[in-house]
Amino acid sequence: MSDIPDRIVLRRHRDLETVAFHRPVRWVLLLLLLAVLVLGLLNVFGQRPETHTVDTARARLELYAPSHLRGGLLYEARFTITAHRGLKDALLQLSPGWNEGMQMNTMEPSPLGQSSRDGDLLLDLGHIGAGRVYRLFLQFQTNATNVGRRRADVSLYDGATKLLTIERTVTVYP
Amino acid sequence: MDIVLRAIVVFFFLYVLMRVIGRRELSSLEPFDLILLVVLGDAVQQGLTQDDYSLTGGFLAIGTIALLQLAVSYTNFRFPRLRWLLDGEPIVVVQDGKPLEKNLNRERVTIDDLMAAARQQNIASLDDVAWAVMETSGAISFIKKPGS
Repeated sequence: MSDIPDRIVLRRHRDLETVAFHRPVRWVLLLLLLAVLVLGLLNVFGQRPETHTVDTARARLELYAPSHLRGGLLYEARFTITAHRGLKDALLQLSPGWNEGMQMNTMEPSPLGQSSRDGDLLLDLGHIGAGRVYRLFLQFQTNATNVGRRRADVSLYDGATKLLTIERTVTVYP
Repeated sequence: MDIVLRAIVVFFFLYVLMRVIGRRELSSLEPFDLILLVVLGDAVQQGLTQDDYSLTGGFLAIGTIALLQLAVSYTNFRFPRLRWLLDGEPIVVVQDGKPLEKNLNRERVTIDDLMAAARQQNIASLDDVAWAVMETSGAISFIKKPGS
């Protein structure tokens, strides 16, 4: 047999009897990587929208928006209000999580007015007749530095009367 | 601050990824690998600097990665006991002209790959080889038998 090259130890470099060649470590790391990718496919990291619906005797509110986002993503929130009975002065109240660290690109149709109520954003939609549908589109982009979980509730009012609330959170991944 | 943290995460993610995928992928640079490298760089850049187009942002990202690379390289030099973890170990793939199947399979190297590497070093037959060692870079070193 020829001389063994310097610094080569047969037990270690030919028979691979060291932890460096311990196959389970590599498999565990590969499985971890696979798990992250599968979680991504399962929408754990966003940005697939979800539908939340609350129906009451007076009105129905359907919200179609993603609850998991990542920095820089463009996304849409669609509010569909169906008035079972006429709403004299429909108001949508959005908790601060809707706007915190988000860039609002556009809001269609523009509400009649905007104001603040107890720190929440209040959108005045005006009159919605019985049986009519009002659809509001909000387009956002997530700021890159906006990371974390925040409440992003939405409540529907008729004047001062609260009709319904959708409670949800929005989670932004880095 | 975010850009420095993102650079640290990206550096360690890529480091672990490169260690896990194995040295065979590191040694070959076929045209498709080259394209993948460009795509990888582009994908990483998006996550690293995002919408930051500033020179300061670029300095921070590049500076962080350069310092981490220096730190890993220094650790590798200063602490030999950690080399197996940071750099890996060489693997003997041929002994006395006989390919070691178990070790070749471990690195997903076929006999054809081995022969191609031998030919690149002007070796026509493995019978002339005393030792072949797959280095941590993925390259294969051949040591000829005396008189070959």
